[in-house]
Amino acid sequence: MSTQPHDEHGIELPQPTSAPMFTAFGFTLMAAGLVTNWVVAAVGFITMMCGIVIWFRNSNPDSREMPAPATDRHPTPVVPKEGGVDHLLSDAGHRARIPMEIHPYSAGIIGGILGGAVMSGFAVVWGLISHGSLWYTVNLLAGAMLSGYADMTTEALCAFRTEGLIVGILIQVVMSIGVGLLYGVTLPLIPRMRLFFSAILVPLMWSGLTWASISIVNPALGDHIEWIWFIASQVVYGVVTGWWIIRSEKIGTMQNWHYLERIGVETPGAREMGADE
Amino acid sequence: MSVLQKPAGPPAATGPVPFLSRMHEWVTTVDHKKLGTMYVTCGIVYLIIAGLEATMMRWQLAWPGQEVLSPEEFNRLFTMHGTTMVFFVGMPILLGAANVLIPLMIGARDLAFPRLNAFGFWLFFFGSLLLYFSYFGGQGLYGMGSAPDVGWFAYAPLTERTFSRGHSTDYWILGIFVAGIGSTATGINFIATILGMRCKGMTLMKMPLLAWIMLIDSVLIVVALPPLAAGQIMLLFDRLLGAHFFDAQAGGSALLWQNIFWFFGHPEVYILILPGFAFVTEIIPVFSRKVIFGYPLMVAATVAIGFISVGVWAHHMFAVGLSPMLNAIFMGSTMLVGVPTGIKMFNWVATMIGGKIRFETPMLYSTGFLCQFLLGGLTGIFLATVPFDWQVSDSYFVVGHFHYVLFGGLVFAIFAAVYYWFPKVTGRLLNERLGKWQFWLLLIGFNLTFGPMHVSGMLGMPRRIYTYHLDRGWEFWNLLSSIGVIIQLVGFSLFAWNVLHSLFKGRIAGDDPWDAWTLEWSTTSPPPAHNFDEDPVVHSRRPLWDLKHPDDPDWKYE
Repeated sequence: MSTQPHDEHGIELPQPTSAPMFTAFGFTLMAAGLVTNWVVAAVGFITMMCGIVIWFRNSNPDSREMPAPATDRHPTPVVPKEGGVDHLLSDAGHRARIPMEIHPYSAGIIGGILGGAVMSGFAVVWGLISHGSLWYTVNLLAGAMLSGYADMTTEALCAFRTEGLIVGILIQVVMSIGVGLLYGVTLPLIPRMRLFFSAILVPLMWSGLTWASISIVNPALGDHIEWIWFIASQVVYGVVTGWWIIRSEKIGTMQNWHYLERIGVETPGAREMGADE
Repeated sequence: MSVLQKPAGPPAATGPVPFLSRMHEWVTTVDHKKLGTMYVTCGIVYLIIAGLEATMMRWQLAWPGQEVLSPEEFNRLFTMHGTTMVFFVGMPILLGAANVLIPLMIGARDLAFPRLNAFGFWLFFFGSLLLYFSYFGGQGLYGMGSAPDVGWFAYAPLTERTFSRGHSTDYWILGIFVAGIGSTATGINFIATILGMRCKGMTLMKMPLLAWIMLIDSVLIVVALPPLAAGQIMLLFDRLLGAHFFDAQAGGSALLWQNIFWFFGHPEVYILILPGFAFVTEIIPVFSRKVIFGYPLMVAATVAIGFISVGVWAHHMFAVGLSPMLNAIFMGSTMLVGVPTGIKMFNWVATMIGGKIRFETPMLYSTGFLCQFLLGGLTGIFLATVPFDWQVSDSYFVVGHFHYVLFGGLVFAIFAAVYYWFPKVTGRLLNERLGKWQFWLLLIGFNLTFGPMHVSGMLGMPRRIYTYHLDRGWEFWNLLSSIGVIIQLVGFSLFAWNVLHSLFKGRIAGDDPWDAWTLEWSTTSPPPAHNFDEDPVVHSRRPLWDLKHPDDPDWKYE
C-alpha cells in the first residue's frame, strides 16, 4: 500500500444540507395524507417541493462543496514488523493451506465398503442370535424407506422379503460409501487419535443422533432396536473404515501446483505433472 | 502511511458546541459515517422496541390459558415485531454499517451520491415513524388507533377492506413503501460507489470481501424491493379505490399477493443475511491471523447466492397447492442455494483451522454465528423438502428455523460487527469482559428460547396462536422459551450499559486496535470528515498487511 496526494484543489466535501430531510418528510406526509386528511398531503407536497428546490439549487450548476475541515488528528504511521510472520508450516511455502496431504478418495470408498460389509455381518449375526433369522436386521434397515414395515410383527420381519433385501442393501451400500468418503476427507484434519475419532467418537455421536430421531426416521427399527448391539455395530464400522483409511498412503493436495498442471495441460516448459513447488 | 499534505479547510470548532448546533449538524449531514451511525442507532432503538414486543408475546405464551394480552393485541404484536425486525432493525443496521464501512474500505471520501444517501436515511426514518404512528392513527385519526394485525407478510385476503377495517393495514403499506424507496436509493448508491469509486490499485478481485458482498446485496435490494412496492400500490388500490387485484371473490387472486410478496420476501432474507456473512468474513481472518480461505470461491459463492435467491420464493408456498412440478422445481432450487452457502461455511472454518485464534468478543460472536446459522441452515434444508414442509408448515418449527437464521445468524453477526468496528466509529473500545458476559448470556438465552420451538412445532403447535390448552404437551417447551427470553433480556441490558459506558469512559482504541489489514484501519478512530489525508493506493487485498510485513507482502502472491 502507498498513498498519493490529492489534486491541487485540496480535499472538498459536499456541503451539509437540509434538502434531503425536507424532501423525505414531505413525501412521507403525502403518503400519510392518504389515510388522514388531504390537508396533510397538501402540506407534504409543499414541503417536498421546497426540499426539491433547495436540493436543485445545491446541485446546479455545480455541486456545492466545501473544503474539508482542518483537524489536528492524523493517523499513526504503520510500523513494519520485520520477520514477524509465522508460516503455517515451515516447509510449505507462502500461505499454505492444511492439510497439505490427504488420503485418496478411493481409500474412503474402499474403507467404507469394507466397514459396511463387516458391519452387515455383525448385524446379521445379532439377528441370528436374537431372532434366529438372517433377514431380520435387513428388513429393519429397509423400514427406513418402506413405510409398511413399521406395522409388521416380529415374525413378518424375520421372513425373507425381496424388496426388503434390495432396499436394505441399497441403504447399507450408499450409507457406507458416503460415510467412508466423509471419513476420508475428515481424518486428515484430525491432528491426533484418529482411530479414536473414527471408532469411538463418531459412532457415539451418530448413535445419539439416531436415538433422538429414530421414531421419525425409522419407526420399525425404533420399536425393535437393541442399543448395545447398535452401538457395537457402529463401532465395528468405525474401526474397519478408519483403520483402512489411516493405513492408506497420503497424497499431496494440488494447492501448490501450477495452474496448467491443475487443469491437466502438458505445456512445454511447465514443470513435471504433479510436482510441488 | 505518511502524511504529505494536510486538509486546508477551516479549523474545527473548539470548545463545547451548543446542543441545537449539534442537532443541526446531524440533521443536515451528508457524511456517510454520520448517516451510518444514525441508521445503526435507529436500528438499535427499534431492536429494543421489537424485543419488548417479543417479550410480551412470550409472557403471554409462557403458560397455557394466560390472559396477559387479548387476541387482538397479540395479533398486533406479532405483526409489528416481524415488520420492525425485518424492515426497521435488520435493514437499517445493515445499510448503516455498509454506509460507514464501504467508503472507508475502498478508499473513497464518501458514497457516490451523498445527498441521495441522506434522502434514503430520512425516508427510512419517517417511514418507520409512519408505521408506528398507526398505534395512534390506525383508524384515521377519527377514533381509537390500532397497529396493523395482518402479519409481517400481510396475506390477502386478510388485508382486503372487508377483513381489515380502519387504516391500520394502510399504515403498514405506506410505512414500508416509504422506507423501501429509501432502501432502494441506498442500494443504487452502494452499487455506484463500489463500481466507480475504488481507490487506485483496487481492482474488483483486490476488493475487500465486505465490499463484494455488499455489491451483490445492493443488486438484490434493487431487484427485490420494487416488486414489493408495486404489490403494495396494487393493495392500496384494492383498499382505497375499490380495485380487486387480491380479492378472489371479485375475480382477483389472493395467491398473486403471495407470489409478489415472496418474490421480494425470500431475496430479502438474503439481503439481510449477506451483510452478516460480510461481517464475519472480515472478522474471522483477523482473529485467526490468517488470510481468508478461498477468496475467489467466496466471491463466486456470493454471486451464486444472489442469483439463486431470486428463484426460490415459492418454497414459502408449498402448502398452498402448487403443482407437483412447481413444488419439485422450487424444492430443487432451494436445495441448490445450500451449495454456495456451504462453500462459505467451509471457507470460514478452513480459515480458522491452523490459525492463531484470538477469542475476543467479535470472534466469539462470529463463532456463535457459524454454529447457529449452520443449525438454521440445516432446518432450512428440512423445510425445503416438500413433504416435511407440509407437516410443519405454519408451525413453531418454522418460527424456530427462521430465528436461528436471522437471530442466531444475523443478530450474532451484527454484534460481532458492533464490537469489531465500534472502536473505529467512536474511538473507544467496548468493554471486553461485559462483551463476553453478554455473549454467553445471549447464547444460552437464544438457544433456550428458539431451540424448544422446534419441538413444540413438531408437536403441532401452530404459529400466531395467542394461547393454548393445557392438554397439548406444549407447556414445558413454551415455558423454556419464555425463560430463555429473560436470560436474553439480561444480555441485552449488559450491551446497553456497555455501549453507554464505553462511549464516555471506554478505553481509547487507537487507529488499529485489532492489528487488522483493511483500509479503514489506516485512518484515525474516529475517521476525519474526509476519511483519508491522502488518497490510498493498494497493491493487494490486505493493504495494511503489506505495510506491516514488507518482507512477506501479499501482492507478490495475488
